[in-house]
Amino acid sequence: MESRSGILLLSVAVMLGCSGCALFHRHRNTAAAPVQSSPEADASAAPPSVIEPTVQRRTLHVPRIRASNVELGAYFGELSIQDFGAQPVKVLRADYHVTEDFFFQAAYGYAKAGKTSAEILGGYRLLSDAERRFTYYNLSLGYNFLPGEVFIGRHLAMSSSLYLIAGIGAVKFAGDQNFTVNFGSGFRVLPTDWLSIHIDVQDLVFRSDVTGVNELKNNLQATIGAAVFF
Amino acid sequence: MLSLPVAAPAAAREYLQLYVMQPYLELHTGPGRGYPVTQVVGRGESVEVLMRRTEWFKVRTERGVEGWARGSELLLAQQADGTPFSFNLGDRAGFADHRWETGIMAGNYAGASMVTFYQALSLTEHLKVDLHAGQFLGNLSNGYVFDVGLTHVFMPQWRVSPFVSLGGGYERVEPKATLAAPTDSSAQNGYIGIGARCYLTRRLFLRGEYLSYEVFTNNNSNEVKKEWKVGLAFFY
Repeated sequence: MESRSGILLLSVAVMLGCSGCALFHRHRNTAAAPVQSSPEADASAAPPSVIEPTVQRRTLHVPRIRASNVELGAYFGELSIQDFGAQPVKVLRADYHVTEDFFFQAAYGYAKAGKTSAEILGGYRLLSDAERRFTYYNLSLGYNFLPGEVFIGRHLAMSSSLYLIAGIGAVKFAGDQNFTVNFGSGFRVLPTDWLSIHIDVQDLVFRSDVTGVNELKNNLQATIGAAVFF
Repeated sequence: MLSLPVAAPAAAREYLQLYVMQPYLELHTGPGRGYPVTQVVGRGESVEVLMRRTEWFKVRTERGVEGWARGSELLLAQQADGTPFSFNLGDRAGFADHRWETGIMAGNYAGASMVTFYQALSLTEHLKVDLHAGQFLGNLSNGYVFDVGLTHVFMPQWRVSPFVSLGGGYERVEPKATLAAPTDSSAQNGYIGIGARCYLTRRLFLRGEYLSYEVFTNNNSNEVKKEWKVGLAFFY
């Protein structure tokens, strides 16, 4: 008896589980499958028609529309690390264009800080080589402020946009990691639908006491680079 | 002699063909409302849809002219079999009922500045599984928080819809080197929270929440940490 009641309970549980799976299959856009009645049912419901069409209905294959909203790019430029001089910077960025106006951006940058003037004049070292590594990431929101077109000669027009961008992230520098706010502006021009060229200027602002005073550090960065749309 | 395999010609990509049903369809030179209209496709003519960027579709006319059509206008077109073209461009209905959402948030976690990335999967209109990955950066310590939780949205169809959340995860604290004998520590945590979501436009919405964390430390008593954060997200 116990095993029977166990099986009964188990089957109830399986049924409930299956109905629960319906949770995962709710899609607003899911089209209901057309209900096709069987020939037998038709025969019983209505008298046979004189002309029986022999043409078989073909199922129409609907090609997918390729979406191209993600931009991946590499950028190079100069980063002016406050008190530590301007240094070359390499940046990787991924953009996702949500609407024609707004896009999200994730960025990772790397630079190596130079020496402060005190280090140069005083001849001592404030930071080790490892501590001079300046890396950052940020997550930003961009706004296509001035979309437009640029022209090269008479026959080439390229869509472009001047965008504003601001975000948050962290800078790892001088053996510390600090909350960072970034903001700036950039210019994007698209020679083709899949390629974009960017010129971008941003300020990375964070609070640090690396030079003895706890203060906001402004680190201006100018980059140029290319990105590919996917 | 070795016979080299002859490369088969790549199959021409097949594009969706749509028939213009409205009086005319305007084609812009770029994917944006301000780009000039240089071509018009008349009623009954067809276009091939080459690609989509945000809510704009690049199409090619029967004459081979390419241009960008606004999504809301292209939705008036029909497919070859007469069925209307449908595409979810993102709207209030989509805000209430969608599959995925992704966002970034800034806030404060127990006095430290917080950067959070989150991803959510909707099980129903009301119930979502949230995945949060955050980094907090403070004066005394930095660290990471990773959480998985359930969020229940009360009125998903409202422009401002409140929610409650419940979950748990893992926290790692890295004290700053200026402290004496700093040691990293990690602990499990659990949280409850309340918040609200506010639809902005298309696929974008605001999300703000207040969470109360219980950090299960090795000490005699657990630690309670408060967090608030606000950010932007999009659904798809």
